[in-house]
Amino acid sequence: MNDQQEQIPPPIIGKTSATERDANSSDRFNFWLAPEQIINPFDIVEVEHMGEARDSEGKPSGRTSRSYGLVTTIEHKTDSPNHLANFVSSNFGDVNEDNVNTPRVGTNVAKVNILSNNGEVYMPVQSDRPVLFASPEGISEALGIDTMAEKNRIPAGLIKMSNGASTVAYLDQEFMLGPEGAHINMAGISGLATKTSFAMFMLQSVLQKAEKRKASDGSSLSDKIAVIVLNVKQGDLLQIDQTGEPPSVDQMEMWEAMNMEPRPFQNVQYLLPRSNSPGTPNSFIEPVKGYQMYAYALADAADKLDLLLSDISDQSGAMDALVGDIMQGIVNREPAFKNCASWENLLNGEPLVKNGKTEKWGDHYASTVGKFRRHLRRITKTRTTGLFTNSRARNELNLTEQIREIEGGHVYVVDIARLNDEEQKLVFGDVLRTVYELKAEDPENRITRKPIPEKVIFFVDELNKYAPAGVRGSPILEQVLDIAERGRSLGVILFSAQQFMSAVHPRVTGNSATKILGRTGASEIASPDYRFLDDDLKVNLTRLGKGELIVTHAVYRQPVRIVFPRPAYKQRQPGT
Amino acid sequence: MRSPLAFLKPALELIGTNATVLPASGGAFEDMARPDIEEADDRFFGSEKEAKEGFRDFAETPVPDWRELYRPTPPIFRSDEQVFRYFCDGSIKTYFLGTIIEGNRSYPLELTQIGSAILYRQENGALKVAKFQRRILLLVPYSDGRGISQSLLEELKKCESQDFEVVDVAVADPLSERRQDPRDKAGAKARFEMHRLEQQLIEQFAPARNADEWTIIDGGIRKSAFIELPRTVGVAKSFDRTPTFTLRKGNKGTIRKDISGLLVGLKYGHRTVSFFAHGGKVAFWYVRLREQGEVDYPLMGVVKVEVPTPKEGEPIDANLADHLSAALIGERNVTPHGLDKRWHAHLYPIFQAERVIKSNFFSEPVLLASIRWPRRTVEI
Repeated sequence: MNDQQEQIPPPIIGKTSATERDANSSDRFNFWLAPEQIINPFDIVEVEHMGEARDSEGKPSGRTSRSYGLVTTIEHKTDSPNHLANFVSSNFGDVNEDNVNTPRVGTNVAKVNILSNNGEVYMPVQSDRPVLFASPEGISEALGIDTMAEKNRIPAGLIKMSNGASTVAYLDQEFMLGPEGAHINMAGISGLATKTSFAMFMLQSVLQKAEKRKASDGSSLSDKIAVIVLNVKQGDLLQIDQTGEPPSVDQMEMWEAMNMEPRPFQNVQYLLPRSNSPGTPNSFIEPVKGYQMYAYALADAADKLDLLLSDISDQSGAMDALVGDIMQGIVNREPAFKNCASWENLLNGEPLVKNGKTEKWGDHYASTVGKFRRHLRRITKTRTTGLFTNSRARNELNLTEQIREIEGGHVYVVDIARLNDEEQKLVFGDVLRTVYELKAEDPENRITRKPIPEKVIFFVDELNKYAPAGVRGSPILEQVLDIAERGRSLGVILFSAQQFMSAVHPRVTGNSATKILGRTGASEIASPDYRFLDDDLKVNLTRLGKGELIVTHAVYRQPVRIVFPRPAYKQRQPGT
Repeated sequence: MRSPLAFLKPALELIGTNATVLPASGGAFEDMARPDIEEADDRFFGSEKEAKEGFRDFAETPVPDWRELYRPTPPIFRSDEQVFRYFCDGSIKTYFLGTIIEGNRSYPLELTQIGSAILYRQENGALKVAKFQRRILLLVPYSDGRGISQSLLEELKKCESQDFEVVDVAVADPLSERRQDPRDKAGAKARFEMHRLEQQLIEQFAPARNADEWTIIDGGIRKSAFIELPRTVGVAKSFDRTPTFTLRKGNKGTIRKDISGLLVGLKYGHRTVSFFAHGGKVAFWYVRLREQGEVDYPLMGVVKVEVPTPKEGEPIDANLADHLSAALIGERNVTPHGLDKRWHAHLYPIFQAERVIKSNFFSEPVLLASIRWPRRTVEI
């Protein structure tokens, strides 16, 4: 019976069509659909073409070549030359007219972007060729997945077609974690819990794939990867080591299709910020299995004051010069700062203040010093959430030192959800800078003898806060750009997300070899940042559902739509 | 790639070698049919007696009262009853290839593509091609002694195939026999051949129909000959606008109406009473498909319906005419408005049958590329 079923040829869903005005080309073709046939944008179809297919070694296979294409849009065409003809055909506008003996002749015509041809034939697809839904093998061939080495295939979700067939969308590890390309950037409107869920799914996918592979020393490759997650909203990511609701049958099928296990993260360390109440973290929830608190005394942040004050308007550069000198003075323990051991000392003591008055210091005008004091007081004293302390308690860690000890096989969740903007930027910049230095320079002050992880993956949401478009010279932006542009060779990988891609610096998104797009508003997709998408496909972004994403990947020839399973860790209930 | 019209080459070479050819500019150009050609053909197919005296006899029973010339026929739609299942049309494209000179005779050489299609309408209203045929004809005058030589014609006949035929324009037929201009005559002959093809197609196909399935053929019921098939009705969107009707007022003499006078009183959803034509072989009447307010003048939105009578001179059942008329009014939507200026009287399935034929004709670039005269023939 099975043999018989296998012999049934796949159904023909339509035929290619080239006309005088709408020709097929090397890049596109059209096909009309059989009546009642349903397809959707992002379905992948195949059609027999000229020439001979090549096998995996590039040799002629003896089979006719096939072209694969991505459906971008479907139009319904009738022979009505204008709307007036339809109006007339309905008894001159009788809206209740439904007695039509012969329905107007019409057909659905799909427009298709060529993905590939397995014989490297890029002649236009000829007219009147039967069109089929691509088989799972065909989809792999179409997207270029078949060219990825098995060991490099990281599942990113399932491509589901309108005929019910599905296949795994793999991303190429070499284009995700380096060295060929790196980084994933995700964009889409908030509220669908899609971007964060996908990022966490991808982290899980990378780790599970690495777990199954052994390094030359016999250890699991997952021990060579460390993950740092910044929790920016509520307690979303403060329970990722807790098992969530069991997956439904559908969800389970998706996990199984990708050869993955639905499970929470392992070896998770939570780093929560200090609050104004002694001994308690400033977090929406406290992780069940424990956590560590971090805080910033002056000595911890002295070399990061530029990050802390990165938002201060400074057109003449006077402030920047002053901050630089102060950082150097404190870090190098210069005589002028010998009594400067706390935020209090810096704000109200020498060398910036004398006899209760702001003083000119070195080449720095008193007005610049005053400005520095005002902003620093606001950030560390009057508006702080408790992150800054004159002296850290024993249970309050130095985040820089903690990150410097980062180990492979661990997931670090740094909570910044309740911090204000300046504090968030300090923490983000601190973590980024520490990891970058760890990977780019000789590690100093690293106590542990365990090797530095080969790959450190960051996940941060709301990237637009740290690397906004249209801003120049911000220390945090420079840090993010360094990672975006050089991270792939260093092994520092950025998984980032934001609502609007246009709000993020183009050098960050441009350096992401993989872009993920969730539902996006019409005005946003009109921005130039989405030029890489075909106009027909752009429209689909406005109606993506929950759990649906568009993936563009360096290996893929066209974007594809995927679905992925919900995270298996415990998640915040809606409304809580 | 081999030309799909390669079969023409030997014929053209024969003519080019054995006669002098004055080629048409550009190789060939289409002989455009006049817009009222169907109307004219309707007149030519009609008998001279009826044209002169007018139509006199009612062709239905019970015999209508001369004061009641219209009968209500509210539409019957497919959702109620699908009366018409098959739709037959023919189409034609004629090209003038040039003037041939043989000895002291000269005559036009015309090439025509004729086709006929029958569409079947399914339960859901969608159409399918039930039968289609296309032929290429080379039209030359012969039997009147003023055209092609016998020997050349005989050679040309050897080039004939299933799709290609050489036709003698001078053989008399109802459409071309009264035409004088040679090209006009050739055009009429081509249309006659098209009607013949329609007739062949429908007669071959008729036995395949189910007992309750009616066929509409475009135009009159008379094609090359009378189509005397059961459940077949001719519907003409363009018809002769000259006939008159002479009605007997009981024993009080007669009243004469011209067609405009008859149709101006015909309301939407009604038909006229039927009359005998062609010496009682055909019953015909008119049906208004559209409100007069929807169209420009009274004769628009009206179709002429013809059915063969059971026997010559035997009237048809008035209820049958009512039923067919009601079903025809049900065909009024959708329309080819914007695609055909006769949209107001065009039946959409017939329009589609015409499209099927035309979309299967060889395109003009293909045809022109196939017209290649031997080099020597350009010398005069």
